[in-house]
Amino acid sequence: MGKFWVIFVASISILLPFLCNSFSPETPTDRRVLVLLDDLAVKSSHSSYFNSLKLRGFDLDFKLTDDPKIALQRYGQYLYDALILFCPSVERFGGSVDVAAIINFVDSGHDLIIAADVNASDLIREIATECGVDFDEDPSAMVIDHTGYAVSETEGDHTLIASDDFIKSDVIIGSKKIEAPVLFQGIGHSLNPVNSLVLKVLSASPSAYSANPLSKLSTPPSLTGSAISLVSVVQARNNARILITGSLSMFSNRFFRSGVQKSGSSTKYEKSGNEQFLTELSKWIFHERGHLKAVNVKHHKVGETDESALYRINDELEYSVEIYEWSGTSWEPYVTDDVQVQFYMMSPYVLKTLSNDKKGLYSASFKVPDVYGVFQFKVEYQKLGYTSLSLSKQIPVRPYRHNEYERFIPTAYPYYGAAFSTMAGFFIFSFVHLYNK
Amino acid sequence: MARSLVGFTVLLLFLSICESTSFFQPISDSHRSAAVELFSPDHGSFKSLEETYEALRTFDVLGIEKKPDVTATACRLVSETVGSSSSTLKDLFYALKANSIVKCKINDKAYQGIITRLNAAVDGASSLPDFYYSVGGLLLVKGSKGDVHLADADGIFRSVKAFRQSDGRWRFSSNSPESSAFAAGIALETLAGVVSLASPELDQSLISTLNSDISKLFDSIEKYDDGALYFDDKLVDGHDHQGPLATTSSVVRGLTAFAAVTDERLNIPSNKIFGLANFFLGIGVPGDAKDLFNQIDSLACLESNRVSIPLILSLPSTVLSVTKEDSLQVNVNTVLGSNAPPLTVKLVGVFTSGSKAASLVESQELVFDDGTGMYNLNNLPKSIDVGSYTFVFEIVLHEPEHEKIYVTGGQKKVPIFASGLIKIENAEIAVLDSDLGSIETQKKLDLAGQNAVSLSANHLQKLRVSFKLTTPHGLAFKPHQALLKLRHESKVEHIFVVGNSGKQFEIVLNFLGLVEKFFYLSGRYDIELAVGDAVMENSLLRAIGHIELDLPEPPEKATRPPPQPVDPYSRYGPKAEITHIFRAPEKRPPKELSLAFLGLTFLPLLGFLIGLLRLGVNLKNFPSNTVPATFATLFHVSIGAVLSLYVLFWLKLDIFQTLKLLGFLGVILVLVGHRVLSYLAATSAKLKSA
Repeated sequence: MGKFWVIFVASISILLPFLCNSFSPETPTDRRVLVLLDDLAVKSSHSSYFNSLKLRGFDLDFKLTDDPKIALQRYGQYLYDALILFCPSVERFGGSVDVAAIINFVDSGHDLIIAADVNASDLIREIATECGVDFDEDPSAMVIDHTGYAVSETEGDHTLIASDDFIKSDVIIGSKKIEAPVLFQGIGHSLNPVNSLVLKVLSASPSAYSANPLSKLSTPPSLTGSAISLVSVVQARNNARILITGSLSMFSNRFFRSGVQKSGSSTKYEKSGNEQFLTELSKWIFHERGHLKAVNVKHHKVGETDESALYRINDELEYSVEIYEWSGTSWEPYVTDDVQVQFYMMSPYVLKTLSNDKKGLYSASFKVPDVYGVFQFKVEYQKLGYTSLSLSKQIPVRPYRHNEYERFIPTAYPYYGAAFSTMAGFFIFSFVHLYNK
Repeated sequence: MARSLVGFTVLLLFLSICESTSFFQPISDSHRSAAVELFSPDHGSFKSLEETYEALRTFDVLGIEKKPDVTATACRLVSETVGSSSSTLKDLFYALKANSIVKCKINDKAYQGIITRLNAAVDGASSLPDFYYSVGGLLLVKGSKGDVHLADADGIFRSVKAFRQSDGRWRFSSNSPESSAFAAGIALETLAGVVSLASPELDQSLISTLNSDISKLFDSIEKYDDGALYFDDKLVDGHDHQGPLATTSSVVRGLTAFAAVTDERLNIPSNKIFGLANFFLGIGVPGDAKDLFNQIDSLACLESNRVSIPLILSLPSTVLSVTKEDSLQVNVNTVLGSNAPPLTVKLVGVFTSGSKAASLVESQELVFDDGTGMYNLNNLPKSIDVGSYTFVFEIVLHEPEHEKIYVTGGQKKVPIFASGLIKIENAEIAVLDSDLGSIETQKKLDLAGQNAVSLSANHLQKLRVSFKLTTPHGLAFKPHQALLKLRHESKVEHIFVVGNSGKQFEIVLNFLGLVEKFFYLSGRYDIELAVGDAVMENSLLRAIGHIELDLPEPPEKATRPPPQPVDPYSRYGPKAEITHIFRAPEKRPPKELSLAFLGLTFLPLLGFLIGLLRLGVNLKNFPSNTVPATFATLFHVSIGAVLSLYVLFWLKLDIFQTLKLLGFLGVILVLVGHRVLSYLAATSAKLKSA
C-alpha cells in the first residue's frame, strides 16, 4: 500500500504540469497553490499557516504581486488549483492577472482565499464584491467591539477582537469544537442578502461596529452588530470555494501563538483558536471535507435486479444511489439521513427520504404514481457546507395495457350468468325444437 | 526597488497596526519557544552546515540548553568537513563557526591543514565572498588555536578595499557592476578580520579611511515612520536580493566587528544604532529560521558593540485602570533583555492624545523596585482621568561615562489607555406628544441591569432616550460608541447616534420625520442601547424593551424595505415528504349481492326446463339411421363446442384465438347442420306427402 502511494505521488508529480486543473475526483491530490504577497516578509510572519498547508501536501508558490511573471493560466491550461491573496494593499497585479482573470479562475472551479486589511486597496475590494461580500467603504474603519474584545496589556483600543460566534456546521469548521475564541483585527464586511451562496462563518458580536477608532463617530456606522461578518465563505455553483476575511493578521504566527482572554470572561486560553479555526477552514476550502460524489445510480422493480427501461403505473420500484465524501486522501462513505429522491414530472409526485446502510448506499422503494408520462428520478441534495448533488434520470411511465385490467369482476357475474344460462337454454332448445314429436 | 519599498511600507503598516503601540519589546520567551520550534533538526541533523551554525548560534544567544544529540551530530559534521580536503570554502567557514560554539575536538594536524588551505585561499581570492570565508576562517582558527597570522595583511586589506564604491556600498567582485549594502557588511567583517589577523599591526591611517565609508553607508539608511532604520539593496535583478532583514543584519555584523578592532571611535550617530535595534525588535517573532537567526544574531552584536549599546524602554502594560488604581511600570533593558546600568526613568509629561495642550503632570522620577527590576509610578497622577494619553519618558544614566557607551533614544512617547468605570445615571425613556412636547409615558431605566420597557406610540409622537455619563473624577465622558438601535420584527434595523451636551446624553426620535426611513412599517420595534469606549470598563449593550409603533399606511410609491438575509440554517435541509395520492378504486356492490343476482339469472333457465318437462317433450324425432344420427350428434357437439368456446373466450382466450377456432367450428357446424336439417326437412316432407 505504501509503495503504491509512493508511485501514485510520483506519477502525480510528474504529471503535475499537465494535470493542473480544478478539484477533480480522479486526481484530487494534485494541488498547486499560488500565494500572492505584497511583501515577502508575510511568508515568514505567517509561516505557521503556510506550513500547515505544506504538511497537507499542497505545493505553495509564493510570488510578489508586482512580479511581471505571474500568470494563472498558460495556453488555456490553469497552472494552479487555488489562489491565496495575502496582499491587502495591492493596486495592480503584475503579469496577466487582473480582476477578470481571478473571476475566471474561480468560475472554472478553482479555490480562492482573500485576506484584506485596514486600507485594503480598491482592487481587493472589487474582487471581494465580485464574490458577494462588501467591505466597509470607509478605508480607515476597523471592527471595534467594546464588550467582546481580547484582553491585552498593550492593545487598548478594542480593535483586537476575540470572537467565538462560529457557523454551526461541522463540515465547514470541523467536528472538534473550537474552544478558544478567534483573534481578529481588521475590517468587517457585510454579505449581500440576496446572494445565497455566501455564508458567514465568523460573525462579530451584537455590540461590535465598524468605524475609525481614531475619529469621533458622528454618523451611524454602516455596519453594526452581528450583521458584520469577520470571515465568510462562498461556495459557487460549480463548487469553487472562496474564503474572505478582513484581517490578514489573523493568519499570522503571532495570533496563532498568542493566548486569548475575552473581556468579561475569566477563562484565559493558552492559545487562540485561530490556528484550529483557520486550518479546519482551509481543509474545507481545499475540498478535504464536504465534497460529495454520487455514483451507481440504480433503479429496478421490486423483486427484479435489472434496470427497466420504463415502468407501468402502480409498479413497486426500488431506487438506490451511492454517495461518498472526499476525506483528503480517499473517498469515504457519506452517512446522513436527509438525502431525498423525487419522482418528478413538472412537480414532484413522490418525494421520499432515502434510507442508508451506513456504507454509503442510499435506497428507497415506492409505488409509481397512477399518472403516466415521462418522469425523472431526481436527487437534489443541498446541505450547508457540502457540495450540492444534482442527479436526474429520465424514465417513462406507461398506463395498463388492455389485457392488464381485471378480468373477472364479481359485480358482472349476473351478466355472465345471464349469458351462459341463455346459451345453456339455447343448447337444450335446439334438441327440443329439432327432435320433439 | 519600488517593490520592496512598497512591500515594507505595507509591513510597517501591518506592524504598526498589530503593535498599535509604537514601542518595542526586547527579546522574550516567545522568541525562545519560536527558536526551538523553527530550528528543529530533521532526523537529528540540519540540512547544511550553515543552518547548523545558525541554529547553534541562535540557541547560544537565547541561552537555550542545546540538546546533546544536536551537539554530537554538529561535531560529527564539523570534523567531517574539517578533515576532508574536498569541502568547499563556505562549508569550511561555517564548520569553523559552528565549532567555535560547540567546541569540538579537532587535532592539530587538521588545524595545520586548514590554515594552509585558508592561507592559499586568501592569496588566490578574487571576489569578496572568497575573502570573507577565508579570512573569517583564519580568524576562527586563531580564536581556538591562537597562532595564526596573515603575512601580507596590508596587501589583502587593499585588495578587499578595491571593491569599495564611492557611495559607501561595496561590490561582490571586480567584474560585477552592482554594489550593495549587503556586500558592505561582509566587507567590513572581512576587513575587521584582516585587522585582527595582521601580525605587524596595520597602519591606522588605512583603517581610518574606512570611517568615512561607513558614514557614507549610513547616509543611505532608510527609515520607517516609527523611527526604525534599515538598509535595503536596490537591486533590479532579484537573484542576489537578500531582503532588508538580511542586508541590515549583514551591515550590523560588519559594523560591530569593525568597531571592535579599531581603536578610533566610529563616527556614527548613536540614534542610528538605536533605530537599527528598533528595526530588529519591530519584526516581532519571525516565522522563518533564517530571519530569526538574522534578528537574534544582529541583536546579539548590538548587545555588546563598541559604538553604542541601545537601551530599550518598554511597558509591560499600557492599559491602566484608573478605578483599580493600577501602577505604571516601566522596564529598561538591553535588546536581549538583560539588565541596564544604573539609571533613572523620568516621566517628562503626559499629554491627551490628539490635542496639543500642555502636559497634565509635573515632571517626576519613577521609583526603582529592586525586586522586580522595574521602575514604578505607584499612583497615577490625580489629573489623569479616563482617556487615552501619550506619556513621555526619558532615561537618565547615572554615570556620565555611560552616556558614551549606551544610547537611550531620547524622549520616548508611549500611548497609554487609562480606563475606568463610567457612572451611568438618570437613564430614562419617554414618549412625548409632538405638538405640546408633553410627556405621555416615561420610564426609568437601569442600564446596569435588565430592563423590559413596553411602550407604544404613533407617528405624531416622539421617543426620547436620555442618560448621563460621568467619569470617576466627575467629569463629562464622551464615549466613541453611543448608539440607539431600533429593530423591527422583520429584522429591519435603524441606528441612531446619541448626541450629548456635556454629561447629558439625549436623543429624540420624531417619528413624523422618520416614517419614510422606517418604510412605513408598523409593529413592534425592539430597542437596544450600546454605550462603549476603549477606556470604558463597563461598556454595555442593553436591550431596553420594545415600542409598538403605529405608522400610517404606505403610499403607492413608498420605498420597500431592503431584503434581509435568509437564515442559512433554514435555507437547506430536508423537505417534507410527498406521497402520491392514488385514484380511489370504483365503488362496487358487495360480492354477495352479485352472487344472489347470479343465482337469479339461472331461474329462467330452470323455469324453461321445468316447462319443457311439464309439456312432456321427447326426442322421438331423432334420426334412427346411423348416418343421420351421426351427423345430428356431430351437429349438437359442434353447437356445444361453439358455446364452450365462448366460455373459454370468457375465461382465457383473446378475440383472435376465439375467431380462429370459431371459423373452424363454424364450417363444421354449417356442413353438419346442413345435412341434419336437410334430412329433417326431407323426413317431414315425406311425412306430409304420405
